[in-house]
Amino acid sequence: MKFRRLIIATHRDIGYFFAGLTVLYAISGVAVNHIDDWNPNYVIRREVVEVGVLPFGEPAELGAEVLSRMGINENPRSVVRMHREELKVFLDQRTLTVTLPGGHVVDEHARRRFAFFEVNYLHLNHGKGFWTWFADAYAVGLLILACTGIFIITGKKGMGGRGRWLLIAGLAIPFVYLALVVW
Amino acid sequence: MRAPNEAKFRGGNDMKRFLILSFAVIATMAAPVNAGDSESYGDGVTLDEAVAIDVLLENPNDYVGRKVRVDGVITAVCKKRGCWMQVTDQESGNGVRIKVEDGVIVFPYTSMGREAQAEGIFEAIKLTPEQIEARTAAAHSHEEGATCDKDGPKSSSAGAGCDAPAVNEYVYMIRGTGAVIKG
Repeated sequence: MKFRRLIIATHRDIGYFFAGLTVLYAISGVAVNHIDDWNPNYVIRREVVEVGVLPFGEPAELGAEVLSRMGINENPRSVVRMHREELKVFLDQRTLTVTLPGGHVVDEHARRRFAFFEVNYLHLNHGKGFWTWFADAYAVGLLILACTGIFIITGKKGMGGRGRWLLIAGLAIPFVYLALVVW
Repeated sequence: MRAPNEAKFRGGNDMKRFLILSFAVIATMAAPVNAGDSESYGDGVTLDEAVAIDVLLENPNDYVGRKVRVDGVITAVCKKRGCWMQVTDQESGNGVRIKVEDGVIVFPYTSMGREAQAEGIFEAIKLTPEQIEARTAAAHSHEEGATCDKDGPKSSSAGAGCDAPAVNEYVYMIRGTGAVIKG
């Protein structure tokens, strides 16, 4: 009886502690599962602008001319002539790809996708360091939640009946999938 | 004898203390190391001298299989996964792609235009006729990274997307082990 109380208390406290992170990881999990269909980290907006024929000149001069014609009052991070007919002007979270000498500009803005960037940053452990340790602790927490969760309910709805079959079904799905697709 | 409500209140204070202590520990452990204006990725940069990108591309056979470091401006980054970046020589516009294993190193999309030092093993990937055809098609549609990692992220051609710089049926890239991106 004492053992079951310990199991319930452990499950309850770890469950409360990691509930928030589980929700964040679940949101990120769905977001990155569909990475082929959308960009879960950035919202990228493209516009095409014509600034007119540009004169000959050094990349920095051409970049300044393009920015002036577009009314952008910002110092570029860098200006690179990728080849004879293409110039790239890099601004903060914005890239202008200029066709030379015609002045066809593809203006690409990138901004972090609100909330998703942050949850993906955590879920995919981009930060490393401290987060690696905390994420490991979370994994151990999940393991404890799974193991204690199995034994919370006794009787027909627990491992003695329904619970056992659900446990087997949940385990079977990944193994059947692996058998069909990988093995 | 202490009243039950008082005991509950004391328990609440203990939890508050625990929370404050936890946040203090996390803030201390997670605080970014002040490394000036540069950010290090993976193993960072260990080689003292960089090979000029132009020299690398003019004499690729001298460097294939060797660990090299290149310096330049970041002119493209994998939009969705941050699994590659292109480092370009600002003078000539010649660039080389730095491909890293998905998730191990993630280059921020917003780092475009910044100066970077990157190193890893220099590789030459011979393009198949299908890949050459795909590149020709993508050149018309301007679709960046259209076949990036088409054969899987761990395939030998991983990172040789449609827009990776190619010279005479070869895509030259660096299997990146680390990089330093300047602020």
